[in-house]
Order: sequence, then C-alpha cells, then structure tokens
Amino acid sequence: MCASVKYNIRGPALIPRMKTKHRIYYVTLFSIVLLGLIATGMFQFWPHSIESSSDWSVEKRSVRDVPVVRLPADSPLPERGDLSCRMHTCFDVYRCGFNPKNKIKVYIYSLKKYVDDVGVPVSSTISREYNELLTAISDSDYYTDDITRACLFVPSIDVLNQNTLRIKETAQALAQLSRWDRGTNHLLFNMLPGGPPDYNTALDVPRDRALLAGGGFSTWTYRQGYDVSIPVYSPLSAEVDLPEKGPGPRQYFLLSSQTALHPEYREDLEALQAKHGESVLVLDKCTNLSEGGLAVRKRCHKHQVFDYPQVLQEATFCVVLRGARLGQAVLSDVLRAGCVPVIIADSYVLPFSEVLDWKRASVVVPEEKMSDVYSILQSIPQRQIEEMQRQARWFWEAYFQSIKAIALATLQIINDRIYPYAAISYEEWNDPPAVKWGSVSNPLFLPLIPPQSQGFTAIVLTYDRVESLFRVITEVSKVPSLSKLLVVWNNQNKNPPEDSLWPKIRVPLKVVRTAENKLSNRFFPYDEIQTEAVLAIDDDIIMLTSDELQFGYEVWREFPDRLVGYPGRLHLWDHEMNKWKYESEWTNEVSMVLTGAAFYHKYFNYLYTYKMPGDIKNWVDAHMNCEDIAMNFLVANVTGKAVIKVTPRKKFKCPECTAIDGLSLDQTHMVERSECINKFASVFGTMPLKVVEHRADPVLYKDDFPEKLKSFPNIGSL
Amino acid sequence: MGGHMQSWRRKSLWLALSASWLLILLGVFPLLRLAVPARPRARAPQGWPRWLDAELLQSFSQPGELLEDGPQPPQAPRGDSCNWGACFDASKCRDGGLKVFVYPAAGPISETRRRILASIEGSHYHTVSPAEACLLLLLSSDTPAGQCEPVPAQWDGGRNHLVLNLHPAPCPQTVQLGQAMVAKASPTVDTFRAGFDVALPLLPEAHPLRGGAPGQLQQHSPRPGVALLALAGERGRWYTAGTNSSACPWDGHCEQDHGPKQTPPGALLPNATFCLIPGRSPDAWHFLQALQAGCIPVLLSPHWELPFSEVIDWTKAAIVADERLPLQVLTALQEMPLTRVLALRQQTQFLWDAYFSSVEKVIHTTLEIIQDRIFGASARPSLLWNSPPGALLALPTFSTSPVDFPFYHLQQGSRPVGRFSALIWVEAPGQLPLKLIQVVAGSQHCAQILVLWSCEKPPPPRWPETAVPLTVIGGHRKVDFAFVVWQSFPERMVGFLTWSHFWDETRGGWGYTAEKANEFSMVLTSAVFYHRYYHTLFTHSLPRALRSLADETPTCADVLMNFLVAAVTKVPPIKVPYGSRHQEARPPLAPGSPGLRQEPQPAAQDCINQMAAAFGHMPLVSSHLRLDPVLYKDPVSVLRKKYRSLEKP
Repeated sequence: MCASVKYNIRGPALIPRMKTKHRIYYVTLFSIVLLGLIATGMFQFWPHSIESSSDWSVEKRSVRDVPVVRLPADSPLPERGDLSCRMHTCFDVYRCGFNPKNKIKVYIYSLKKYVDDVGVPVSSTISREYNELLTAISDSDYYTDDITRACLFVPSIDVLNQNTLRIKETAQALAQLSRWDRGTNHLLFNMLPGGPPDYNTALDVPRDRALLAGGGFSTWTYRQGYDVSIPVYSPLSAEVDLPEKGPGPRQYFLLSSQTALHPEYREDLEALQAKHGESVLVLDKCTNLSEGGLAVRKRCHKHQVFDYPQVLQEATFCVVLRGARLGQAVLSDVLRAGCVPVIIADSYVLPFSEVLDWKRASVVVPEEKMSDVYSILQSIPQRQIEEMQRQARWFWEAYFQSIKAIALATLQIINDRIYPYAAISYEEWNDPPAVKWGSVSNPLFLPLIPPQSQGFTAIVLTYDRVESLFRVITEVSKVPSLSKLLVVWNNQNKNPPEDSLWPKIRVPLKVVRTAENKLSNRFFPYDEIQTEAVLAIDDDIIMLTSDELQFGYEVWREFPDRLVGYPGRLHLWDHEMNKWKYESEWTNEVSMVLTGAAFYHKYFNYLYTYKMPGDIKNWVDAHMNCEDIAMNFLVANVTGKAVIKVTPRKKFKCPECTAIDGLSLDQTHMVERSECINKFASVFGTMPLKVVEHRADPVLYKDDFPEKLKSFPNIGSL
Repeated sequence: MGGHMQSWRRKSLWLALSASWLLILLGVFPLLRLAVPARPRARAPQGWPRWLDAELLQSFSQPGELLEDGPQPPQAPRGDSCNWGACFDASKCRDGGLKVFVYPAAGPISETRRRILASIEGSHYHTVSPAEACLLLLLSSDTPAGQCEPVPAQWDGGRNHLVLNLHPAPCPQTVQLGQAMVAKASPTVDTFRAGFDVALPLLPEAHPLRGGAPGQLQQHSPRPGVALLALAGERGRWYTAGTNSSACPWDGHCEQDHGPKQTPPGALLPNATFCLIPGRSPDAWHFLQALQAGCIPVLLSPHWELPFSEVIDWTKAAIVADERLPLQVLTALQEMPLTRVLALRQQTQFLWDAYFSSVEKVIHTTLEIIQDRIFGASARPSLLWNSPPGALLALPTFSTSPVDFPFYHLQQGSRPVGRFSALIWVEAPGQLPLKLIQVVAGSQHCAQILVLWSCEKPPPPRWPETAVPLTVIGGHRKVDFAFVVWQSFPERMVGFLTWSHFWDETRGGWGYTAEKANEFSMVLTSAVFYHRYYHTLFTHSLPRALRSLADETPTCADVLMNFLVAAVTKVPPIKVPYGSRHQEARPPLAPGSPGLRQEPQPAAQDCINQMAAAFGHMPLVSSHLRLDPVLYKDPVSVLRKKYRSLEKP
C-alpha cells in the first residue's frame, strides 16, 4: 500500500520526459506488462510439483558420477575385529551424550567410488539393497547430516556381500573415512559373510572396533551385546506377491525346500521321507528347466514341479538347514509363508536374537538330532503350532520383509543399548498386534496387601456447603484408619472459613485452594497425599457409618488395584437405540461405583490427571458431570478388573435435598449419564467396564452371631 | 489535440502503471516465497541422495547365489568350548523328564552342604541311580583348600554334568571341567557360555535354605520423601542420596560433599527408589539386597552375567546403564515416568520372591532352566518366567500355553483359543435351547457342551445327538453364584466353609479353628471351586513328605491345599454365602474333618506347624470379607433377586 502511494506521486512527474515517445512505445509497454501478467499467472497456478516434493533438497545425480578416490597400495589397514569388544569398552558413548528424545544420531558418509593404484575398482559401487538401506536410515528419525553431532557412523561402502569386494582394499577404504578412529561407533551391514573354502561366519574385512550387523553369525564370532545379528534379506520378499495364509493344519507336515544341501543332510531328509511318506516333502532344484532365471522360483520332487515360495504355504514346518553359511535367505521366505522354521544349524545366532524370542516362532534342533526331527515336532501340541505360525508371520512382517525393516530394527537395538531406560520392552518386540491390543498389563500387578497402619487420606471436594462439609469431616474423622484429611476448596470467589472455625479432629487437616472450579480437581495427585489409599468423598455424604468406611478400607487393602465404592451402577446395551445406557435400578449386577465415596490407589489420580485418553478430562470439566464414570472407565481399562461394591448401600441421599421434583430431573440425569458412557466408550475404542454379580460384606454380615462380637456391626442401611 | 493526447497518454500510462503494480504484486510474492525458505533449505538435512539410476542398481547377490553357497560338510563343534547341542546328551532325559543324581559327599561336610544335599534329595527331580539320571550334579566343594575331591566315578569327561558352585569355591579347578556345565555366581561375561552355563546370584553365607525372607516392599508406589538413590558401598553398606545430589555417587565424595546419611549398622537393606551398583563382580551381592528391598537396581556397566539371564527378562526389573554417562543416567532416573517406576519396583519383588529368596529356590530354578532346555520347543514361554507366580509354580508338564493357567488371563487378553467348551445355562422352563445346542455343536472349534440346568423342572431325559460330548448338570443357585464369583477370581479358591489360623502363644505354634470369626484364611475343600491346575501343582510340586502327611490325615490335605494356593497367589481365598438352610444339613465332610463348632483334632493341629516348617514361612493370608450377591438379604422384593435361594430360611 505504502509503495503504491509513492509510485502514484512520482508518476505524473515522469510524463513530460516521455513526450517524444509515441504510441509504439506504449503498445510495447503494454504488451510487456501483459506478457508479464500472463507469465506470473501461469507461474502462480502451475502445479508446483518440484517445489513441494522433498526431493527438492536432494541432489539428482547418477551413481556413476560419484567422486573417485584412489587408494595407495600402502594406505593404512585397520586391525582385525576385536572379539572382546563390548559396548562399555569399545563404544564411545560420549558421542551420544544427553539427548532429550533418547534417540541416537546416525550419520551416513557420502558415496565415493574407490579404486586401487592402477584404477581397478575395489568393489561395485553400491547394491540396490544397500542403497535402500541407506535411504531408510536417511528418512528415519535417527538421521543427521551433521557429522560432529553424530553418535553412529554408517559408511556408504557396501559390504553386504563379501564375494563382491576385495577384502584388503575395502578395509583400506574404511580406514581412510574421515571419522574412522579405529572403527569406533561405526556400523557395517553384512548379509553374506565369508567365502570359499572355509566360509567364516563374520565378515572377513578387517574392521577393528566397528560394530557389525551380520547375517550369519555363529556363537564363536558373535560379540554378545555388541554386534547385531540380522536376517539375510530374501529378494523374493519384494518380487513375489504371496497372500497371507492363516494358521492351521496344512498338506505337508515337514518340508525341505533348500536346493544346495550337503549330501549327508539330504540323505537324512530322504530317510525321513521314506519313513513318514506323504507328510514329508523334500524338494530339490529342477534339472530339466532350461532358463536360469526361473530356477529360483521352481522346486522339484522327482518329476513333480512346485512353485517356490508358494509351496511353503502348504507345509506346517519347514526345514532351514545351514549351507556353507549359517544364515540362509530361505528363513525369510519360510516365515513369510507362515511355516514354522525348523532351524538345524548348530551355533547359529538367530536374527535379532537379542530382542526376539525365537522359541515362540521356531524350533531349533541340534544337527546331531536330525533323524529325530519328526518325532520332536510331533510332540508339539496343535494349538502351540498355530501360535508359532502366527508368530512366524508376524516376525516376517515386522522385521524381515524389507531392507527398511531390517535397518530400523538394527538401529533400534543399538539405540536401546545406549538409552536402556527408554528401551522397548519384550512385549513390544514380540507380541503380534492382535495380542498387544487385547492384553492388559495391570500397573499394580504385584499381589500385595498393604499394611493397615498406613491408613488412608480422605479428599473432600467442596464448593461452599460449609455446614455439610463440617459434618462430613466430623463423621469421617471417626474412622480409625484415617490418617489425613484433605479439603479441596473449589470456590475461587469465597475464602474458606478461618482456621478456628474448623472442627477439631485427631488427624491433620489440610485445605487446598484450586485455581479453577473444575470437577477434575478431585482427582489431582496432590503432594499432600502421603498414603497409597485415597478416599474420595463428597461434602454431602454424611450417611456412611464409621464401620462402613473402615470396612471399605479393609476391602481396599485386599484389592488395592480396584475401585472400592458403595452404591453400584450398571451399564447396559440398549438394543433398540444401539448404544450404551446408564442404569441406576437396583439390579443384580454392578459395573461401576459412584465416587461420591470410594477408595482407590493414589496412582489412579496420577493416571486421571496425566494419562486420561482423548479429551475426556476436558469434556468432564466442561459438562461438570461424569467424573466418576470417567474414573471407572480409566481404572477398568488399565487393570482389566471389575470394581468392588461394598455393603448393601444403594444410594447417597442427602437429607437437605429430599423432594426436588424427582422424575424430570432424574430423566435428564440418566440421559446425560448414558451420553457419558457412549462418549467414553468411543474415546477408549472399547467398553472396558466389567460386570460382576457380587459385592463385599463383612464375613459375618447378617449371620446368626452376637452383634457385639462382630468387627463391623454397624454396616448401615440401603 | 495535445490535451487529448495528453489525457490518452495519461490514461494509458496509468493503466500501464497499475498493471505493472499488479504484476509486482503477483510476481513478487511467489518470488519471495521461493526466496525466503531457500535459506533454511540450504541448511536442511542433506539426506542420502535419490540416485537417478537407482532402478538400475544390481542386487547384492545373484539369484542363484543365495540358493547355492557351496555345500559344506557338517562341522564338529569348534574349539574346546561347549554349547547345548554339542555337549549335552538329551536322549537320556527323553522319558521321565529331568532326573538328577547327586554325588554323595565323600568325607565330612559342612552343615550347609548337608542341608542342600538333603533338599535336592527330597525334591521330585532326584533319582538314586546314576545310570537312570539324565543330569549328574556335583556340588562344588566348600571344604578347605587342599582337600579337593577326586574326579567322580561317572564323570565321563563331564558330559551331562552340572557343577553347582553356590559360593566361590576355594578349589577353583576341582576337576577338569571338560563338557560339564557350570552354575556359578556372577560369572564374568567373557567366560560365560550363554545357553550352556547357568549364572547364579551371589548368595550371602547366611542365606536361608528354605522359605526365605519375604520382599521388603510393603506398598506399590515409593513412599513420599524416600531417597531417590542409594549407592552400594563397602562391606554391605549403602549410602543414600537425595534427588538434588548431582554426580556424588560417581566421585565417591558423597559424605563430605552432600552429607547423605549412611544407613545405620544392622539395617543392611537400602531404603531408596533406585540402587546404584558398580560393575565390579564383588559388588554383585548388593544386587540381591536391592532386589529384596524393592529398590530398583541400576547396574553400571556390569562385567558379570545377571543371574538366570537365560530366562529372566531383567529389563523389566533393573536398569543396565553406562557408568561413563553419570549425568545422563541421573537425569533419566529423575525423569522416569511413574508408571515405569511402579512396574520395575513390583517386578524386583516378584523376582526376589519367586527365584532368589532361598537356596532351595535358586537350586530349583537352575534345574528348571535345564529342564526347559531339554524340553526345547515345549519349554515354558517367557511370560511364565517373568510374571507372577513365576516358573517354579507354573509347571510345563501341565501346559505350556499361558491360557491354560489361572494366572495370565489379563496379559493374554482376548487371544483366540482353538477350541472352546460351551456352557449353556438353561434358566427359563420354556423352549429348550435345542436349536442352539445343534448350532454350537456344529462349530468346528467346539470341544464339549455342558448344560447347566437351573430351572425348577427336572431336565428332559432325551437330548439331541451331537458330535461332541454333551453333559447335563443339574444346577443350584448356590453353586451358580460361587461359580460366577470364581470366574472373576480364577486363581483363588472360592468356598463356603472357612477356617482361620492363629498364632497360639501358649503352645508357641500355629493353630487353626473352625469357630465363626470375623476373618478367615482357609476354605474347606469339600465344596470349593478352584482351577484344575492346582491339582497338578499339588501332585507334582510338593515335597513327598508333605504329600504323605496329607494322605495320612485328611484334614491336613485341606490345610495343605490352602497353603499351596496361598503360597502361589499370596492372597486369601474367597468366601461366599452358604445359605442358612444348609448349615444344619451340612454335606458329609471328609472323614475326620471337624464339625462346625468342633475343634480340629490335635493331630490335625500339628500338621499346620509341620507345613509351616516345610514351606519355611506361613503363607496363609486372612480376609475380612465375604462376597455376597449384590442384593443379598436386602429389603427389596424377592422377585428382583437372582440368587434368592441363598436367603431361604
């Protein structure tokens, strides 16, 4: 705006100078302006593909154009790998330092082409898989391009397959990397180690202290807790489309699909086939197929031709024997087919064995016991077999199916070693998603009866009903196990009564003033709560007897992970409306207790305040209702357990508010409460509440027994 | 004319000016948009390049290469090191499971050692014949140096031998170990043969043989105001430090710098949330102390293998941290979410109680690990080892599937089970659910159908033909309610008649009574619901002496069952109402069991003490409550009540 005004002022002053020029001048000016307008418009509305793509920042180059590095023949060579290396000896953890996200930073060296003195390449520059692997790391949260901030370094020198490289020169290439420093914090990926004739089980390239993610480790070469054992990637994972086949009995009990077996092993397998007939199938390569490319996808038994890997889906167990190398790509195909691998490879360190529980997905048989394989497998119950089939498929999906999955699992393992307090748990690594969804891990799982001496803290939420509040305080203070009373003063416009006016009671009394009148203040984890047991009580609950409250506390001690309350409520499925309904009738069942007076563990205050799913907490505060239903949902959801209703009490009746017209108020109340249940069930994504048909009474309740000898004689009415 | 020209020119000039202004507006902004982010872009991560010819790259292996890597003859195990497949002959263990022969003591032995031998001999693993045994156990000598034992007769190069070395032995090389497995305390990471040797905890000299002290944890969450850190010091002492001490535990100047309290002598257990334990082996026994105290062990780069690491998932109970990053570890501990602190604390207690609290538990755990190796595919899954009540109480001979046990329903969630039993509850005496029965029986997953007949009319004599077994049970409300309660507490016993135990000062021993009381700790097994797993546990896990005691005195069987379930669950049984009508017409109890107001016989009174001695502690827990139907004896219409028969006079 400002600029345009300026222009307008200067405009007329220009005109006299332009007098000599004529129409042509203006026409030209116009056409230039018009063209410019059109061009700008085009630019504005043209799809900005180049701009929005993330490739914008990435250089577009060919692999053949990368810089060439000449390695002198006498350039330094790293030492051989140090077998005694452990994370706390060979790994420089200072480079990882403090990191609020608990994520390591990984740097990737830029791609170079290494040639020796005479210009002969050291290896093929990079394989498709290694390019995928580096791309996956680069796209992940681990990646950094700042070499000074990196904790882990990944060379771009491709050593996936030892056969494609020259060992000494590759080692020299590694040694001249800018941050090599004896290989400290360097990670190499190798899937096919060793070479003829002895086939070492780890990469032969001298690499000093570098970590090795290797695909064929034996227990002799694997440095426990330092190296990472990874799968040998099967290219068929990407090439072949194999729909998932559910677990269950299959045509063949045991199948062998490997083609290059040692004759001794093949004899053993064929002996099994001869003994058990149809249920065992031993396949070999097809001799009569001419094209080499197809041979990978075909297997034969006598004159029968089978498609590979489809045939694996026809078998319950699939043999994975070692060849010259321990790690076999067939393992990946077998897992994918949901066939339980029978691993016969002594001393083989299974992929990701540091975190994956292979007992759940495979059977490991010592080579010596190969002839017993059939009977060993037969002793496994069918149910367990199906579990293993499911597990096998899940392992493939999560950790085998792509190079990216393999790379990220490797980095996660190393990350968990460096930040152990943020490590992923056994369940997260091993449980298939279906199990993860269904399982409940109770936060208070230890069976423990807290000592009675601890007592409980009563929390009274109040607004301004001082008289009623004082009566509640007086009543509650009579309960023997009360250890502290906390009054949450929720009225910001009025000060709580003076200290001298409060009832004198035998336990400490504290008043907490809140900043805002919110229902969730009742469930805040106040520092003043010293005991584990909390009694939430409203400022109008004066009908509960001391015996009733003390008994409630005793019941809580026996069920410290549950909500223990007095009046019970129920949720029901309304078939007509197709939604949940709140029920306060006196039924035979209970699924919730009112928190107008309820005992629970103080940990649930922490959960309510900080871990309540979705917008439930705000919703409750906005509606000024249903905080108790929310608490019932929360506790049932994390513990998977039902509430405990104690004593026959059915309702809290406040004497002051007797006959306000019951019916209509009741109706809206019920509608609101039902709405809460439906809202919460949709936020939780499930209905966590559990229905039970019991309540807890004192052992001798209503028994034919002298009242004065009962521990809790005055248990109250309905 | 000129004026006209002038105005025309002016007009067109204006037009041109406003048009160029539009042009600037339209043009400058996109240019700005391009120019402004250009600077951060230049600093944005230079990712791995997307190669133009990425599609043309060769695979890391040729198609045939993965298939044929050159067949190689089978190799013998390399080196003198052993692994399970090569050095253990499991064929001897095929039938009868793990049978253990223990070499008898050659000469005079210490009292501790004699008791350990006796304990193994009393267990169900023991066999007297070395030929029959699949594992030969050599208890490493604790006699003074110089009196080392000769090689035992059945040594055979150490094959199928386990050398059990509970305390660091004065004879380091008793025999050439050869192919024998070694179970010893805190082995160094470098010599430990994973999957073959067994790592034991470093036990103090006075560790109890049986029972053992319970964990110190009395509440789930850390007590407010308790110290965050305790540091293992010399001679079993602990130094505690508050939250704001920075790197004190590392520089070793805690006392001077921050003045943390040294725990008073005698109180050997740390009182803190986290216990820092240095990585040197001599500090390993602090580890057990921390476990018992419910103090989460933070191991600083340990050089020793954690006990029973083969089966115990220590990440659930301890933190292995790097000693080189003190500040980072401290910050991480301070900021650890409450949920994780709770879980770690509880797990320490569970592990202590399940595997470490007595010498017997340590030995049995060692043997169970070897048994699991023998079972191979039928070994216990990790869940059974790592959640209560622990693997010693979850027998793999019963099942290896967690869903079969009463303990793991929560963790298992809604995992689908292959087959189900259909329980059909017939309540209304109207149309029979014949259609339903046929439909259910037609399902491929149905194993059996139980019809619980709960109406007043007798069930019909004829039922439809089904492919699966069909059983009709005449139900009763009383039983119904107890069963429904049991479904909520599958790991507990749910019964009607109860006993309570007490400490008898006059006799200086335990006693129990059937007298009506305000609390109870046992339910009579004459009418009780419990999981069938406890039968297996009763038969296979209890020492022989206890079972014969139960056989002799039937009341003792009741007591023993209650002891067993309480020791497993650590919670009391559940009492449900009996219905007063039945109190007179009590069902005949097991012979010899006491009447309602009759004291158990003296012989029976004694068995509770014998059992408490055999268990090493008193496992029974008292309860103050009875679970009643929700409307039990309420002054509401009888018609509302589902279990009204329970209240009939």
